[in-house]
Amino acid sequence: MSRLSIFTRGLIKDNAVFVLMIGLCPALATSSTVRDGFGMGLAATFVVVCSNLLISILRKNIPNEVRIPIFILIISTFVTIIDYMMQAFQPELYRALGVFVPLIVVNCMILGRAEAFASKRSVLDSVLDGLGTGLGFTLALTIMGTIREILGNGTFLGMTVFGEAFKNSPVIFMIMSPGAFLVIGILKALINKYVKKEL
Amino acid sequence: MTSIRQMIITLFIVAVTCAVVLSFVYAFTEPRIAETQAQLTLSGLEEVITAYEYKKIIPDTLWQAVDSSGENVGVVFRVFPQGYAGPIPITVGLDNNGKITGIRVASAAEGLAETPGLGAKITQPGFTEQFKGMTAADVALEQEGGSIEAITAATISSRAVASGVKKGIEMYGACLIPSCDPHMVFAEAERFVEVIKDTLWKAVRGADTLGIVFVGVVEGYLDDIKFMVGYNMEKIITGVAILHSQETEGIGEVIRDGEFLDKFRSGIPEAVSGATISTKALINGVTSGLERFKEYVE
Repeated sequence: MSRLSIFTRGLIKDNAVFVLMIGLCPALATSSTVRDGFGMGLAATFVVVCSNLLISILRKNIPNEVRIPIFILIISTFVTIIDYMMQAFQPELYRALGVFVPLIVVNCMILGRAEAFASKRSVLDSVLDGLGTGLGFTLALTIMGTIREILGNGTFLGMTVFGEAFKNSPVIFMIMSPGAFLVIGILKALINKYVKKEL
Repeated sequence: MTSIRQMIITLFIVAVTCAVVLSFVYAFTEPRIAETQAQLTLSGLEEVITAYEYKKIIPDTLWQAVDSSGENVGVVFRVFPQGYAGPIPITVGLDNNGKITGIRVASAAEGLAETPGLGAKITQPGFTEQFKGMTAADVALEQEGGSIEAITAATISSRAVASGVKKGIEMYGACLIPSCDPHMVFAEAERFVEVIKDTLWKAVRGADTLGIVFVGVVEGYLDDIKFMVGYNMEKIITGVAILHSQETEGIGEVIRDGEFLDKFRSGIPEAVSGATISTKALINGVTSGLERFKEYVE
């Protein structure tokens, strides 16, 4: 498998949210605006890249029997780092994401990459894999956030689109939880219909 | 097959390394986190009342607003009334006359749980500006005889804000020093001469001393109870007022009740069953205050 395809696998072909349907809880909960979705995506990307990197470096020294606790320890360390950093430098985003930042620890996308890829492959490949997976997750959340914020709040990144009239009475339902399910369902349906899966 | 010892050692090393790394990250970010938090709180306060400095009275709840010459210009407090989907964080500024200088409802990003587009409209200036200049007595929705226009289809949230602000003023308004008016417990007096700063006054009319007014604090059920008592030369209580209390809603709250407070005028009342701790605390506070200051009325 070429380096490029390692990177694009997680980005598009095996996109965590739209194709593998994992990490759905944060995807549904934090995609109500573009900023939240993008921020959450980047936080998860940071964690998956760093944990893939470290696990790949240590892969020959990690005893097979205790690999899962060690993966979790490493992942939760990076999650805590991003948690502190966000609190210090992005307090508003941190408040908006709330409990979903610490919950990145249990995002199965991250542990999945550690177990399936980083614990077996070279350091560079693991970083590329983490980057692809993380950015794929970010892409999915940003797309959902864009659709939901524009329709549900009449804004994009806080800027008004479609004029004031629409902003004052948008499709509120889209930024609430049912809107998240609707958007992901429609996107998944479109992807299944138009994107051919290379099996 | 790895030996148990090797597993333990590897796990131990990884765990210790993680802990050490995290302690460094914590030490690096902690001051910054505290600073951002303080900044956020402060900017929230500045929006409702302009002052040079905000002196903390109750952490995260009550501040005294002070101007550059050190004069009190009012207070700022935060209340969290129950809205439609959760508590609504509101910051309220009060000037020295007990008039609202501004209110601010936290946005969704700061923890507001009200429905976006409906209840969440209570954050908008169109709604919050209406409170400016009002006193506790004016704060009521149109439906309840007041003049605050509720948000259409969000009456619950609107009402929660109004009642939260009103309760907040009643609770913290007494912390405005000029409104700690001894007249409310000693109506007959013309003026008051301070004997002990912020604690004891002589009630005076013409050249006669009519009695005393004192302020006391006792430990209530949930929080300290701060009260003011008027006591005349005939050794009769002229009035009792609660300056601060935060007792259980519907139970200990009875101590704020006019009916209960009036009972003090005809001698020390019995504790109210169901609210024994709060009422007893107040009764004991009043009795020990009388004991302490009785020499001033002899």
